[in-house]
Amino acid sequence: MTETAQPPLDPRLLSILVCPVTKGPLIYDREAGELISRQAGLAFPIRDGIPIMLPDEARAIDA
Amino acid sequence: MTDNTKPSAFDAAAVAPPSGAETTDFGFRDVPLAEKKPMVRAVFDSVATRYDIMNDVMSLGIHRAWKKIFVTEMGAHPDLTLLDLAGGTGDISFGWLRAGGGRAILSDINASMLSVGRGRALERGLISSLNFAVMDAEAIPLPDRSVDRVTIAFGLRNCTDKDAVLREARRVLRPGGRFLCLEFSRVQVAALSPIYDAWSFHVLPRMGAAIAGDRESYQYLAESIRMFPDQETLAGMMRNAGLEHVTVRNLSGGIAAIHSGWRI
Repeated sequence: MTETAQPPLDPRLLSILVCPVTKGPLIYDREAGELISRQAGLAFPIRDGIPIMLPDEARAIDA
Repeated sequence: MTDNTKPSAFDAAAVAPPSGAETTDFGFRDVPLAEKKPMVRAVFDSVATRYDIMNDVMSLGIHRAWKKIFVTEMGAHPDLTLLDLAGGTGDISFGWLRAGGGRAILSDINASMLSVGRGRALERGLISSLNFAVMDAEAIPLPDRSVDRVTIAFGLRNCTDKDAVLREARRVLRPGGRFLCLEFSRVQVAALSPIYDAWSFHVLPRMGAAIAGDRESYQYLAESIRMFPDQETLAGMMRNAGLEHVTVRNLSGGIAAIHSGWRI
């Protein structure tokens, strides 16, 4: 499996997930396969359709 | 340790914590607070693929009976949503769905365990009612008042900040929702104690070595069981976290216990 062929995130899960740090909203970047918390400045990866909601594993982004 | 050796939790444990630093239990050892989480994850990475068979061997299959009782206590209903914390390879979520429960979120801090769980869900035809998310039970990525049941079965003793887990569980519960914990506890039958001690400290690590090729991980699991708060202590911690009508049900003479509390 290549990195670009990410299975989409289940919309039912997407509708309920929030940032584990701020409990604020997440933006789904489907192309990058990431869930972005602007407030926390973190991008949480989605691997093989499973979101990894751990700050340790998130990519720091400019808020 | 050489370069081609995977770093293990037990290498980290050999490093003495700096004096004055806050520490926590990792089995019978004290380790720096920040190190427990990666160490526990290393244990479960190590045991993930053989976790289910080891549970059967370690408990002589009794864990299946305990989980069955636990699922019955959960009071499944199609309108209710479950968050299964430290749900690992899926037994509790699967039991909930089979009992007629509504949608379940199967979560674990360890992606390896969750991958095993997803494979098992596919085999069982339960995947359509399940979502999967890697999360830390101490920082749940769900809004306040969003689920009806929160469970943690054989998971709480591996968490660093157990009070944080209980507070988070209460936070995400809707009023009228229920938290349930299944965990090893304190044996209440005196005659059982020496047998149980011999089993968990002499037999189990050897079986871990023989079956999973990993004695140290099973040594940790046995020790962590003994370090876990007893029935009354955990009940008190739940009350402190704001859970109400807290009850305890002992299983197999207190080898395990089900703790339950409600968000009112």
